[in-house]
Amino acid sequence: MSNEEPTTEARTSAPDRSSATTSVDAGEETSDRAAEPDRTIVEARNIDVWYDEDQALRDVSMEVPEKKVTAMIGPSGCGKSTFLRCINRMNDLVDAARVEGELLLGSKNVYDADVDPIALRRRVGIVFQKPNPFPKSIYDNVAYGLEIQDVEGGHDAIVERSLERAALWEEVEDRLEESGLELSGGQQQRLCIARAIATDPEVLLMDEPASALDPIATNQIEDLIEDLAEEYTVIIVTHNMQQAARISDKTAVFLTGGELVEFDDTRQVFESPQSQRVEDYITGKFG
Amino acid sequence: MPSRVISPAGSARHLASIAIVFLDVLPPLVWLGYVLALALPLAASVAIERVDRQLPFLARFGLLAALLVASLLFVPGVVTSMPTVPTGSIIVAVTLGGPIAAIVGRFAAGRLENRRTGLAVGGGSFLAVLGAAFLGSSVGLAALPATILTSVSLVPAAAYVLVVAIDRPGRRIGLLLPAVVFGGALLGAVVVDAMNFAGPNSWIDWGFLTGVHNSSSAAAAGFYPVIGGSIILMVIVAVLAFPLGVGTAVYLEEYAPDNRFTRIIDVNISNLAGVPSVVYGLLGLGLFITYLGESPGTALVGGATLGLLILPIVIISAREAIRSVPDSMRQASYGMGATRWQTVKNVVLPEAFPGILTGTILAIGRAIGETAPLVVVGLPSVIYSLPTDLSSSVGAMPMQIYAWASLYAGPGFYNSAVPAGVVVLLVVLLAMNSVAIALRNRYQREN
Ligand SMILES: Nc1ncnc2c1ncn2[C@@H]1O[C@H](COP(=O)(O)OP(=O)(O)OP(=O)(O)O)[C@@H](O)[C@H]1O
Ligand SMILES: [Mg+2]
Repeated sequence: MSNEEPTTEARTSAPDRSSATTSVDAGEETSDRAAEPDRTIVEARNIDVWYDEDQALRDVSMEVPEKKVTAMIGPSGCGKSTFLRCINRMNDLVDAARVEGELLLGSKNVYDADVDPIALRRRVGIVFQKPNPFPKSIYDNVAYGLEIQDVEGGHDAIVERSLERAALWEEVEDRLEESGLELSGGQQQRLCIARAIATDPEVLLMDEPASALDPIATNQIEDLIEDLAEEYTVIIVTHNMQQAARISDKTAVFLTGGELVEFDDTRQVFESPQSQRVEDYITGKFG
Repeated sequence: MPSRVISPAGSARHLASIAIVFLDVLPPLVWLGYVLALALPLAASVAIERVDRQLPFLARFGLLAALLVASLLFVPGVVTSMPTVPTGSIIVAVTLGGPIAAIVGRFAAGRLENRRTGLAVGGGSFLAVLGAAFLGSSVGLAALPATILTSVSLVPAAAYVLVVAIDRPGRRIGLLLPAVVFGGALLGAVVVDAMNFAGPNSWIDWGFLTGVHNSSSAAAAGFYPVIGGSIILMVIVAVLAFPLGVGTAVYLEEYAPDNRFTRIIDVNISNLAGVPSVVYGLLGLGLFITYLGESPGTALVGGATLGLLILPIVIISAREAIRSVPDSMRQASYGMGATRWQTVKNVVLPEAFPGILTGTILAIGRAIGETAPLVVVGLPSVIYSLPTDLSSSVGAMPMQIYAWASLYAGPGFYNSAVPAGVVVLLVVLLAMNSVAIALRNRYQREN
């Protein structure tokens, strides 16, 4: 596999497609939102995903606006993580997984034959549900992405800035050489966020980043996500409705069977959902 | 962690014994030649790094590889034919004691966070080694062993004790145990010497450990050439089986697709681990001696045959270690945009390394006791010297024991030489296994 960074031309964003109506699951009510000025950075077009014979996502289409927080909610097993893994092609690593449909980053379909998944993942960072720092020093954890991308010169400034952005710098300032595993769970998760943003990705995927944390650490992460959305596009999976309502601009609701049932402005979804199933889910009648 | 206090001293003693065997094989002048031959390309690579960082990787690699080969070919020859050469102990003091003093000094500077003290400790260490080189003979030790002992054993142990005593006053108590053991042993030796105790008459004495086989008298028989021979064989086994085995394990775990072919290989490796060792002897005989035309009984043939024998075990234990690296670690690395090799190199191998090392040491422990395959590939049962190169004959401990128990069977050998040899063999084995266990414990504590 090549280390080069191809497909830089894909960085240019797609022409403004946001006036198009957001697709909602086939046959459901169409959204009547007003056009908005956001630019679309990630667009899924009729994505189907199979694990061997089991279909995990059915015909998912959605447009994720740039530099906004997009939340994905839904019951367990409905395919949220699967969709996230489609965006940076982590599904390639699962032998059983098969993806059909188009997924555009900018204007480029990331499943085109000429797209190198390695280069793609350098543009789309990911933070996992369970904090997973490397058993290396705090410094080396943050510098890992720079190291593997052969970024020239000293990394000190970038490491410091990333840790600051992840609201961790003050806590680790004078213990950068200690192992990342010696931090608390919340600190580890912020370390993983610092690691993901050190290489300056365009999109940041977060798969339930706060689910293993206490309310205080969760708060810190939520504040952090709102800050990050000024520079990055954040797509976050969460099981916590309040969290989705608090921090996201847009919300996608997946329901069992891998369908995207509703995708709209967060306020719209929580206050007057179009679909009865979504309303039941949000009010807790249906899991 | 009081064990941390003892282990450096213990490992230093092991190092000293290995180093002495090593220098017996390699005369100081030849050693100097090789040290210089390796130092030259090393210096060149540092210089290139300083002068021109833009040099393309291939050019740099080619240049250094050529330099390495050239300097390995020529420098040792030039050095050994120099008209005037320093004495052996001075050579060893500078080439061995120098780097060790530097390492000790850095260690002290790092632990005490004080460059001056570090310099002082390093300088003191070097002076101590030089002192041993000049004064060794006046305390009843030859200059050469005195230098080696001082540089690999005394100096690191003393510096470690010193640094711990300064750095962690609360931990001084932990130094008591090694002090009691060491002091007690000294005291015991003095008492026995002074009072002329007639202790049990051990067969394992200095003469046994340093002498050679003697077919007429069991009392005069020694074990030295086969102790050295076994160590050399193990080095060859490790050099051959470790990279091949770990490489195979990495391929099978991280790269190979899960298809019928890999499953067949999988089953095969498991079966190969259970094949009787004499069959590997026949394989070695057929492969190396019949087809490749090597002469029987050489260090290379013996080592390669034993290497084949433990290869499946190394592969299986390395795969086990690699599989135990949590998948979330790999996911994190791939998620950052790392290639497969970058993930293996930066994340998987460092995590799996202690496990791989433990498995390999245990496997080598198995190889060191093997007799049957060595008989088949024609290792001599009696040998009077260490091999001088890869293609000269080598002996092994189990071979010598086998010879004493069969060819020279008689009460003398039965009652003395054979048990003494077995005890030495078991001690070496236990030492290797305890290193493996220590590594594993340390690894588990870190996680
Ligand atoms: N590696 C895999 N191999 C086979 N099936 C999988 C794999 N990963 C996920 N699936 C299946 O795909 C479906 C969707 O899984 P996914 O992990 O995307 O759900 P999720 O919405 O993230 O759930 P949760 O909220 O519990 O994390 C599930 O039915 C699951 O069993
Ligand atoms: Mg999930």
